Amino acid sequence: MRPRWRKVLSDLVDNIARTILVVSSIAVGVLAVGVIAGAYVIISNDMSAGYAASHPANIEIRMDDFDDDFLNAIQNFEGIANAEGRRVFGMRVRSVGGTQWTMLNIVAVQDFEEIEINQLTAIGETGALGKNEVIVDRDVLDKVDAQVGDVLEFQLSDGTIKRLQLVGTVRDPATNMDDFLAPPAAYITMSTLPALHQPENYNRVYAIVDSGQDDDTHIRAVATALKDKIEKSGHAVHSTWRSKTHEHPLAATVNAILGILMALGVLIVFLSSSLIANTLSALLNQHLRHIGVMKLVGARDRQIFGMYLALILSFSALALLIAVPLGGQGAYALARYTADEMSFSLQGYRIVPIALVIQIAIGLLVPLVAGFVPIINGSRVTVLKAISGNLVQGTGDQAEGGAKRESRLERLQLRFTQMLNRRGIQIPRPLLISLRNTFRRRGRLALTLFTLTMGGAIFISVFNVRVTLHDYINAIGNYFLADVTLDFDRPYRLNEVKQYAAQVPGVVTVEGWAFANAEILYPDGSTADNMSILAPPAESELVSPILVAGRWLHPDDKKKLAVSDAILDLFPDLRVGDNLTLRINRQDEAWQVVGIFKFVGSQRLLAYAPYEYISLDQNLANRAYSYYIVTERHDRPYQEMMAEKVDAFFRDNGFHLREAKPGLSTLDAAVESLDILVAFLLIMALLTATVGSMGLAGTMSMNVLERTREIGIMRAIGAVDREVMRMVIAEGMLIGLISWVLGALLSIPFTYLLATIVSLAVFSTPIEVIFTPTGFIIWMVLVVILSVLASALPARNAARLTIREVLAYE
Amino acid sequence: MSPAPPPSSSNPPLIELREAVKTYVSAAGSFTALKGVSLTVQAGEFLGILGKSGAGKSTLLNMITGVDHLTSGEVIVQTNGRAVSVHELDENDLALWRGRTLGVIFQSFQLLPMLTLVQNVMLPMDLCGLYRPRESRQRALELLEMVELEDHAYKLPTFISGGQQQRVAIARALANDPPVIVADEPTGSLDSVTADNIFDLFERLVETGKTILMVTHDHGLMPRFSRYLRIADGELVTEEANA
Repeated sequence: MRPRWRKVLSDLVDNIARTILVVSSIAVGVLAVGVIAGAYVIISNDMSAGYAASHPANIEIRMDDFDDDFLNAIQNFEGIANAEGRRVFGMRVRSVGGTQWTMLNIVAVQDFEEIEINQLTAIGETGALGKNEVIVDRDVLDKVDAQVGDVLEFQLSDGTIKRLQLVGTVRDPATNMDDFLAPPAAYITMSTLPALHQPENYNRVYAIVDSGQDDDTHIRAVATALKDKIEKSGHAVHSTWRSKTHEHPLAATVNAILGILMALGVLIVFLSSSLIANTLSALLNQHLRHIGVMKLVGARDRQIFGMYLALILSFSALALLIAVPLGGQGAYALARYTADEMSFSLQGYRIVPIALVIQIAIGLLVPLVAGFVPIINGSRVTVLKAISGNLVQGTGDQAEGGAKRESRLERLQLRFTQMLNRRGIQIPRPLLISLRNTFRRRGRLALTLFTLTMGGAIFISVFNVRVTLHDYINAIGNYFLADVTLDFDRPYRLNEVKQYAAQVPGVVTVEGWAFANAEILYPDGSTADNMSILAPPAESELVSPILVAGRWLHPDDKKKLAVSDAILDLFPDLRVGDNLTLRINRQDEAWQVVGIFKFVGSQRLLAYAPYEYISLDQNLANRAYSYYIVTERHDRPYQEMMAEKVDAFFRDNGFHLREAKPGLSTLDAAVESLDILVAFLLIMALLTATVGSMGLAGTMSMNVLERTREIGIMRAIGAVDREVMRMVIAEGMLIGLISWVLGALLSIPFTYLLATIVSLAVFSTPIEVIFTPTGFIIWMVLVVILSVLASALPARNAARLTIREVLAYE
Repeated sequence: MSPAPPPSSSNPPLIELREAVKTYVSAAGSFTALKGVSLTVQAGEFLGILGKSGAGKSTLLNMITGVDHLTSGEVIVQTNGRAVSVHELDENDLALWRGRTLGVIFQSFQLLPMLTLVQNVMLPMDLCGLYRPRESRQRALELLEMVELEDHAYKLPTFISGGQQQRVAIARALANDPPVIVADEPTGSLDSVTADNIFDLFERLVETGKTILMVTHDHGLMPRFSRYLRIADGELVTEEANA
């Protein structure tokens, strides 16, 4: 090997710690981007492909009971390629011996083996489904604490219990994908329905259109026509849902979230590039004398440039060797996790070419860009400067051949110290040295602070965003303020329920609510979307709406409603006072919008109208199916205890109670989904913090290495090991604390930015930002620990050196 | 200032300095290290440059090697039969010219610590491209043999003594077979016996036709130069030739 390349190899292997630092800085960025880019591609492809593979229904119609003959008519309807009927109803389930009931959607199918629409994916050994057997969604196993082979208890409406054998688990990649609040499902055959006191009829239609399966306009036209036909034949349609075949309902949301993670990944690359620039700059400074010697014996700029370019490319190659395979695995793991959470199948492990190209491009380009200036400066240094050890940059103002000028910062420090001295405050001399040392390499300090500050700012922001999202979910909980909700199978008189409820210790008030399902119609009469109308008493204290415009309900409001802001997606020009045409119980009526409130902007459109009007309209005056109870305390354990108590009490008294559930449980699924997102954000924040602390560790080692001679001199004039270590650690801590202050300040705009992007992606609406001290405190503790750790090792090495070694240091 | 011509010369001088001035400017003011030095060196001379610390000896040498740039004046070196104005070359041309024309030796040896002795000697040949790789290894081994270090060829510099390191530095200076060797206090870090050996080596090189310029503050070495000049406060004060 030629001597110059031999030198490059030596530079690579002789200082393993430095090589590891640079290689890991590159690798972290490449890995982060590789994982996100790979996962993005895999998820985008497989999510929709997996969804399409399950043959999702383009139209789902929830209606009253119908039989096989009627289903045949639907199957033969023009524009429909295939249709299946199912019966879906809610029921409480528990394992034998269990005390906790879980609400499940029971889905009855004609022949489990022959499902053609919304096909299920069997998990493990899931065999044929027979009479009096049940197969559950895999999420159910944990909730009811059961295994395949166990027997599950189903509570019928009269309070009796029916046992069914659990014979398998499945995953449903197609149903209720966009409904965070839908309960998990259990599947039975139609022949099991009588055992559960249910008629052997369907109540849902799942249909696939014969063409234009990805054309929402076409699907809507077919759905509208089909619905008309159903209604004309005397059936009531409660709601209709539409979906494209090749577009997962949550694809946009997932892609937006992955986009946010990608942005953070790019930021990590950016941060690692400053770390690389720092390290290479220090390396070039350390190699200045070598460069001088090489130039002295004939090396030209481009030869020196080529050598260090080769060194950087070697760092890149090593980083790619580590990060590319790990990135591929990580991408697949992330995709698998997402697929698992969202119930879709992956098409198997594969290398994503575009992710590979991005990784290689980043792995090569970022270090080259980051190292370009240090290399150019290093290769252009004159022999005189190189041989005399005059550093090329960041040394302060060194005049040629003259004394170093005192910088403004140094003068400021001096004046500050003098001022303290005059007031009798003595800063210990070693601490003063640490203070001075901190600001000696200002270019390096700036890059280190930048990296650490960005890491800290993101770290703190993620905590703020988490609180912001939770706060928003809690604000959404303002629409579900009850501590216990009761759903009955039949309507009961308000007074009767209130009287009984009052007998349960702990119950404070009870409200009866009404509900209606409506279709919002376009002016041409076609259905724009479905909407649920909740009807609490107008004076209800159980709803605390976040009004965007207009007012809340009045008791005398007739055909007036407050609607969630998601309505603006359908009618962007809608204003308070405008009318909406709603179809309720086959009647088309104009309803006036009196208020618009903020709510989770999913496809779930929600409106509130006063109970006083809706109950009359539904011939349910002074009666209700649903009751909302306020208890003495509002914490989750108390709510759960009260739900059990109220449940038992009403059943014991002969009420046909479907379910009593604690109020806060409504938000469980939403909180769970958000926590997954926050976990991802936190992983990215930790990665940025890791890059930041690596930057600090690198800086401290470089600082100590460059000051080896100084340390030797200090030891020669009496500084003991402890003193040397203390000085180095104090310097590290000072950098850490400065970065904390800067990071805390920067976290404020970051929080706003991140919260807005995330809320737009998840809720389709910007939300109010909340700050929490948690992130600030944790990062403070973490940055101090990281600073101490990052400087302790170089400090220990510095303290260990003998005077002879350090004074001999070249 | 009294530029004295070298002893009997009919050929143009190998090295010629004309009114060389070097002034450093700093925050503390300006300082002139060379005050219009004129000097000629003929091929085959063993020229000693003597003076106290700070007299301007190393500055003078730096002007000849092109390591530093003149404030005014000229440095002309005959290279392959033509006169090269060193002060007009840019850094890259200087590097190549220096690599092929001069061998530079320092008091602190300046070997690259990560390269073995043979690789250190091969480095100038690698960088200047005058020899093919295999050829350069062979030549490096021959040069190490010349300085009696062939047995240590594959050791790193830290595993040999200071005197041995300086001999490697001499071998490296000879790598591209330059006509001129420039040495800045080459024996300053060595004990007297080792220094004497190094000097012997220089004398042998002069016998083979090399021109050597050597800076030293050791007046005891004066008799061993073919010519020496004293420098003080940036000016040539005496110049004498030995018989």
